[in-house]
Amino acid sequence: MNPAVGDELPELVKHPTTRQLVQYAGAQGDFYEIHYDQDFARSVGLPGVILHGLLKASFLGQLLTDWLGDRGTLKTFEVSYRGIDVPGRPYRCRGRVTKVDGSHVELDVWGEDPDGNKTTVGSASVEMAG
Amino acid sequence: MATTSVVDRLRARIGATAPPITATVEAGHLKRFAEAIGDPNPRWLQEAPPTFLVALAPPSMHLAEAEEYGKGWLNGGNRFEYIEPVKVGDQITATGRVADVYEKTGSSGSLLFIIFETEYVNQHGRTVARLRGTGIRR
Repeated sequence: MNPAVGDELPELVKHPTTRQLVQYAGAQGDFYEIHYDQDFARSVGLPGVILHGLLKASFLGQLLTDWLGDRGTLKTFEVSYRGIDVPGRPYRCRGRVTKVDGSHVELDVWGEDPDGNKTTVGSASVEMAG
Repeated sequence: MATTSVVDRLRARIGATAPPITATVEAGHLKRFAEAIGDPNPRWLQEAPPTFLVALAPPSMHLAEAEEYGKGWLNGGNRFEYIEPVKVGDQITATGRVADVYEKTGSSGSLLFIIFETEYVNQHGRTVARLRGTGIRR
């Protein structure tokens, strides 16, 4: 079925842990200490270790590719990190179709913390296969 | 003021490119990356998921003088543009440059924004993706 404006993407809830932050630090090669060293994170004014922005982007990427499957191709994907997220709290990924123009589809995506704050907001465009 | 001169020195770097980095997309790395982000889709055993390119080459340049400003880095955002899928075995050359540097002062103090752009070219000389990232010093 072709996407229509207003369609909601099936929600994806992730459960990040400190273990996952270390795993991600290794896989990306981002060893900035705010993601695994509690004392360091506090020394720069954070409440403790925080999720990598790009890990949250990866969660939203999964939201998009799970929804899209092989029905089309992701063309652009953009995220802004508006707030910090800490491990041990579920991270809820959501999205909605905002524009459909022939095979060109645009979406809003966002990630919410358990208090409902949209800590990551973004958008994407896809080209549906003929 | 010390911070002003840091901003001026960084602004002089706008347009500067980092030495290109070439890396091969390895099956083991893709698998570890997909496991780390917790995405079980078997497609990612052969093909790069949407954010993988940041793991292939650093998504921003190391600017030592930026660390004289504020206490730490924050990632403000990322924008990916996809032109061609990236598959296992592809050899990707990433070239990053400083696209913009500016300071913003708000109620909670001053922030320094550094915009990085990276272009990814495959072994056939075709651009496969572009990335724009906003690094923030606070």
